[in-house]
Amino acid sequence: MSDYAIEADGLRRSYRSRTGWLRPQTTVVDAVRGVTFAVGRGELFGLLGPNGAGKTTTIKMLNTLLIPTAGTARVLGHDVVRETREVRKRIGYVFGGDRGLYERLSALDNLRYFAELYGVPAREQKARIGELLELVGLTGREGERVEGYSRGMRQRLHIARGLLHRPEVLFLDEPSIGVDPVAARDLRKTVADLAAGGTTVLLTTHYMAEADELCDRIAVIAGGELRALGTPTELKRHADGRRVVEVEAYGVAPGTVELLQALPGVRGVQIEESGAAQLLTVQSESDVDVQSDVLAALNGVRLGRVSARQPTLEDAYVAIVSGDGGPARESLVAA
Amino acid sequence: MRLLTIGGVISYRALFNWATPAMFIGTLLVGPVFQLLFFAYLGRQLGVADDGFYIVGNAVLAASALCLFGGSMAVLNERRFGTLGHVLLSPRSRTLTWIGRALPYAGNGLLVAAFTLVMGKLLLGLPIPAGAWPGLAATLASAALACAAFGLVLGAFALRFRDAWLINNTTVTLMVLFSGTNVPRESLPGWMQAAGNFIPVTHAASAARSLVHGASFGSVAPRIGQELLIGAAYAVLAGVLLKVFEAESRRRASLDTL
Amino acid sequence: MRTLRMLWIGTIMQVKMSSRGTFEIATAMIMPIVQATVAVYLLRAADSPHRMIEAAVGAGLMGVWSTVLFGSGGAIQRQRFMGTLEMLMLAPRNPAGTILPITIATGLTGTYAMIATLGWGWLVYGIRPEFAHPWLFLAAVPACVLGLGMFGLLLASTFVLMRNANALCNTLEYPIWLLSGMLVPITVLPAWTGPLADILPTTWGARAVHEATSGGAVWPAIAWCLGISVACFALGALSMTYVERRARTAATLALA
Repeated sequence: MSDYAIEADGLRRSYRSRTGWLRPQTTVVDAVRGVTFAVGRGELFGLLGPNGAGKTTTIKMLNTLLIPTAGTARVLGHDVVRETREVRKRIGYVFGGDRGLYERLSALDNLRYFAELYGVPAREQKARIGELLELVGLTGREGERVEGYSRGMRQRLHIARGLLHRPEVLFLDEPSIGVDPVAARDLRKTVADLAAGGTTVLLTTHYMAEADELCDRIAVIAGGELRALGTPTELKRHADGRRVVEVEAYGVAPGTVELLQALPGVRGVQIEESGAAQLLTVQSESDVDVQSDVLAALNGVRLGRVSARQPTLEDAYVAIVSGDGGPARESLVAA
Repeated sequence: MRLLTIGGVISYRALFNWATPAMFIGTLLVGPVFQLLFFAYLGRQLGVADDGFYIVGNAVLAASALCLFGGSMAVLNERRFGTLGHVLLSPRSRTLTWIGRALPYAGNGLLVAAFTLVMGKLLLGLPIPAGAWPGLAATLASAALACAAFGLVLGAFALRFRDAWLINNTTVTLMVLFSGTNVPRESLPGWMQAAGNFIPVTHAASAARSLVHGASFGSVAPRIGQELLIGAAYAVLAGVLLKVFEAESRRRASLDTL
Repeated sequence: MRTLRMLWIGTIMQVKMSSRGTFEIATAMIMPIVQATVAVYLLRAADSPHRMIEAAVGAGLMGVWSTVLFGSGGAIQRQRFMGTLEMLMLAPRNPAGTILPITIATGLTGTYAMIATLGWGWLVYGIRPEFAHPWLFLAAVPACVLGLGMFGLLLASTFVLMRNANALCNTLEYPIWLLSGMLVPITVLPAWTGPLADILPTTWGARAVHEATSGGAVWPAIAWCLGISVACFALGALSMTYVERRARTAATLALA
């Protein structure tokens, strides 16, 4: 028996796609370029990264849906390529989004069908389904067809399905996508409870707060590579030695971001639209006070609140994803 | 008969699939040839009619099914891609717009019909007089146009009713019967023969058969004219229906929700 | 036992699902009737005397095949679009076992085509459902549906791999009708097609049903049909296992 619930060793995956048929051209996209990590039993492990970073591909290699192009992976000691069935018996998979459920069937029928497929013993099924409906708060609505369900209800049904066979390892792929804040909070509680009960959870997300609140350890993945790995506290140190200045502005001219980045001491600039205003987040070396330079560069732009603060996990994430190493040249522009 | 499968119909990507070579060859070229072989051998077995009857009939039918779906899809696609509103709002003559959209399908149908005819000739060995080809081309073209217009009518109905594919599939299957392409019309009850006079394909198929049997172009020209007339009538009907349904859907605000 | 239960529940769910789509219901109800009508007129136009019951039964068989073919191909495609194909493949079972209920369900739906054409023939054309061997007919139809279903399963395994399964579907409707002699047994086909027809379970299934209708040795045909069905199932299961692996390599289980 392995000490780890999940072991990934040098996982790589590339996709081939052919375009055109008169003169077919094969393009190869490397979605994951060699990822190595291990998740302990009972750990709640987060895989954090921007869209297209390779999170879903990584999860699908670990849960047997994709065969890695190179590298190996084991779940509870079983190889994901060779011992597929052993792995499948022990894992649950929940993904975010509207799809993946039988729309024309009721929630109850969906669960009954998958309970059968996932080998839940017949005499336990009824009690188990009732228990799960209770857990995800769908009791009383289980007879309705899924096509009438809201986004949040579907997500809860997804989770109930993923837990039917009491998996030892649960893969959660962006479960909170498009879920309203209250539902997202309930979801986090459910996940935390599961982990507390001994289930190993691998969670992918791009919500910082979710990862910060839930995860024992976080791996940051970007461009198909692992950029950092550690506890939330350890990751926050990536932003150590930095200061953050936040400026609320109205009507920042294009090109300003580049201008700010060029300022001495500035390590990264992020711009975010919030209603009529734009929120500029400027990270700098902690020993350089860039605030006055920043404000000078924004001369002529109407400004709102200006504040300086200590870096958060989000700042650390930005620092990691944007490369960290180089001096004052990177930026991450979020829409 | 069912060019689009149930899965394909439901799928959002059905149209994208049409564009791939496998889909094109599979659906548009091989399918009609198998259909031809099915009916031709059935005809030989049952002694209903000779090979020529089936080869010519099914070649015309191959064009018709495709054009019919094409005409219908010309209207349906707009809704599927959410552009129906824009098209209806454009100040240009809509009837012309629709016909313009249906024309490529008609051209495609002509190609398929020619392929089916040639394959049928090669596989089953049907002698076709060399002089008949120009006439056959004209006949097939008239059938293709008439069917595209008929397809527009079906497409108009599709705007109004949801299950367009059911309408299309049923119509094409019924056309096999009514147009006398695979069952000799003499053996049909009177009302079916009468109905056959008013749908595309019937006259074109009959003209094409005469041509293959050595008739002169002049002798079949009236039938080609009838086919074109039917097509024109359906085009007008489609224009009227589209206007009516358009006005109705604006009233009911159901343009894109349909 | 557990596998049987799974197949049973799976079949119920699949039937439930297809019984709730208006398009599927309407297509399944109308198409066989239209085909039966075409068949009736074809056989009426024939020189040789045919019993009209052959037309009804033959059209029914054609309907069963259409339903199974489009059902199996369409079902896999539908699962892919719904995003449930991955969830099915994640089940710790032989992939053939998870797909089989879909095939059985389409077969059951297809049986309706037979009932509908017989009913239509009786009501509209006064074709009395009189069979040479009524009891054997009741045995031949399920055997035939099973044979068609297993062949469908074999085809379905290719559908897991191909995103354009529809293309294959479209081309396979007529050839099987023709080769298997579904409407009427075809003796005028080129000789080389004989062996091809002989290895299709659909041929033997259709033969069993036709012989039960018009008289003949039904049991051998049923036996052949079942035997080939078993072979198809074994082959389908093997190919499904291989194909599932290929699909994981080629990433065709999901749409995007």
